[in-house]
Amino acid sequence: MDWDQFDLNPKTIAALKKADIKSVKEIFNLSGADLQRLMKLSSADIQCLLKTVSHTLRRNSMLTALQLYQDRDHLTSQHQKLSLGCSVLDNLLKGGIPLVGITELSGESSAGKTQISLQLCLCVQYPYKYGGLESGAVYICTEDVFPSKRLQQLIDQQQKLRADVPAEVIQKIRFGNSIFIEQAADLDTFQQCITRRLSLLLARGMVRLVVIDSLAALFRCEFGPSESALKARYLQTFGAQLHSLSTRFRTPIMCINQVMDAVSESEAAQCSCRALGNRVTPALGITWSNQLLMRLMVSRVSLPGHSSGVASHRAGSMRTLSVVFAPHLPPSFCYYTVQLEGVKGIK
Amino acid sequence: MQREVGTLPLAPALRARLAAAGFQTAQELLDTGPCGLSKEIGISREEALEALQVVRQECHGDAARTAGESGATRRCTALELLEEEQTQGFIITFCSALDNILGGGVQLTKITEICGAPGVGKTQLCMQLAVDVQIPECFGGVAGEAVFIDTEGSFMVDRVVDIAAACVQHCHLIAEAQQEQDHWEALETFSLENILSHIYYFRCRDYIELLAQVYLLPEFLSEHSKVRLVVIDGIAFPFRHDFEDLSLRTRLLNGLAQQLIIVANDHKAAVVLTNQMTTRIGQSQSMLIPALGESWGHAATVRLIFHWDNSQRLATLYKSPSQKESTIAYHITSHGFRDVQPPAVTHSAEGTELNPRKRPRTEEEEK
Repeated sequence: MDWDQFDLNPKTIAALKKADIKSVKEIFNLSGADLQRLMKLSSADIQCLLKTVSHTLRRNSMLTALQLYQDRDHLTSQHQKLSLGCSVLDNLLKGGIPLVGITELSGESSAGKTQISLQLCLCVQYPYKYGGLESGAVYICTEDVFPSKRLQQLIDQQQKLRADVPAEVIQKIRFGNSIFIEQAADLDTFQQCITRRLSLLLARGMVRLVVIDSLAALFRCEFGPSESALKARYLQTFGAQLHSLSTRFRTPIMCINQVMDAVSESEAAQCSCRALGNRVTPALGITWSNQLLMRLMVSRVSLPGHSSGVASHRAGSMRTLSVVFAPHLPPSFCYYTVQLEGVKGIK
Repeated sequence: MQREVGTLPLAPALRARLAAAGFQTAQELLDTGPCGLSKEIGISREEALEALQVVRQECHGDAARTAGESGATRRCTALELLEEEQTQGFIITFCSALDNILGGGVQLTKITEICGAPGVGKTQLCMQLAVDVQIPECFGGVAGEAVFIDTEGSFMVDRVVDIAAACVQHCHLIAEAQQEQDHWEALETFSLENILSHIYYFRCRDYIELLAQVYLLPEFLSEHSKVRLVVIDGIAFPFRHDFEDLSLRTRLLNGLAQQLIIVANDHKAAVVLTNQMTTRIGQSQSMLIPALGESWGHAATVRLIFHWDNSQRLATLYKSPSQKESTIAYHITSHGFRDVQPPAVTHSAEGTELNPRKRPRTEEEEK
């Protein structure tokens, strides 16, 4: 650590070097008395050191809420979101997926989670004007094999799904080239993947969406009931690493999660899923829920011949996408179907 | 001048050497002079000069303090404290049930902690408070500004805009109902842009940045003397990973709590923290408890726990020095944090003393 870059007294810099203090983290971790003892300086000098270091660390970090609101620059604005490729679904989410933070998509099997994620991997490649981020996606598979045939189908049908985008724009995008597929079947491989491969791809600007399908699979077999503390630590570490990548590179992280049956009413209530009528809760518990910015849930709707408005769709293929919690959205839901060209919402 | 050497603000090693050499009072040091001092305890002339300068400054400061009033320690009677507390403002939450169990609202000069599972409404309440602290005094507010320290990235400015717009609308309706001049004057400066421009937002990405930001708070609050609310949303997130050594975490959290208490007291501000919940596995069942451990429970003066009961959100006042433990229900609407049922309709205003914060509710507004 180059202490000269801080605006410090030469005596303090000499004391820091002599006490072998190598980073700002060490300074904050040591108590005031320890610092005085190690650096042989008075308490006033130590206070001055802490203030100076804090100033340098937090220079230019203040924004007013008005500045946040008026910022429309697509590189920094909060208003910029990743579109889902369908205006009905985007309206439910007030624009799409937020760019900073972990979004979870949970639901029973074959409810449509993979379909939505594949669609997102294609949407991210569109220009900013059409709700994309002009960049690729990373798809991390942990148990199933990647559905490449379905991806190809979706690519071929993009023009039909995105009728709002001119044909020449769609033709110019090489969809298949920008989707990077990673396999991570156990915790260590997953850890490697996040810390090495992902940061590399993100730092080079090649991807701006990370899809993890699914996180629960990594934890299902490895932890017995007595190892819940260890499992919680892993979850917190992964959550923190993903969160930090998302913040640094302004990249949405979409985690697909599975659901378990809610054993009691209180459990179902704890994760805010009671409104949906089904007694399932997302896997991985409250430790994982604490890491999330937004939680979405998909489920199949089993309606034997419902209202007239949906009679044209095959009964049984209707699904709901609901917002379980989000800081900027009320709990709400909408219907959608999975068609050949992708996921489309129903008004 | 008779101050003991051990109490002077010098480096500990230097103090030890002075004690070993037999110096006992500050006067003895000053009498010896820099050359004598450097010879006696074996330090350089420059160091001796500096040490003597510090000693002189301290002695001058002492003299001024004893000559004038008390200085660093305040002396006052309990009656004075009571009067001060009674005139203290509260930051209302727009949920009258919650305000009632808190004794009026979120209290200034105290630390309030809000714990709850994800999605229950902690960030919503923080955003509501950041708007409510700015309500002008004639409407029953404290007319302050807010500092919002965000560690999770959950501050969505669009939501704050909704909440602020609803609050401005509410005040407009009160002003129309009561038709007083000072209300209209206050409303001229209480607009959406004004509210947003007085919420100071800081984003801290790990615990080092959070600690640094809290170190800088006293200075920031001295420059922006109208700040009456400091929100840290959430305090648990940066401290719950990456800590192999839990005693380090406890020490850092204690230090943080102490600094926040000083900030709250010196600048008459309310400090609001949000905390996560964690599972405690008991013998027969597991329950949710606030995160960060037992010792952190002592940091906050007031603790609120938000939880669910089927589909109803509930708030429990879990710890308070002056109010009793109770639970109320609340709602989160598109306008922000609100009561579940509107309070009883108050009939025409003349003659009855109206709470300036409330306006008569009409049938159509039931949510």
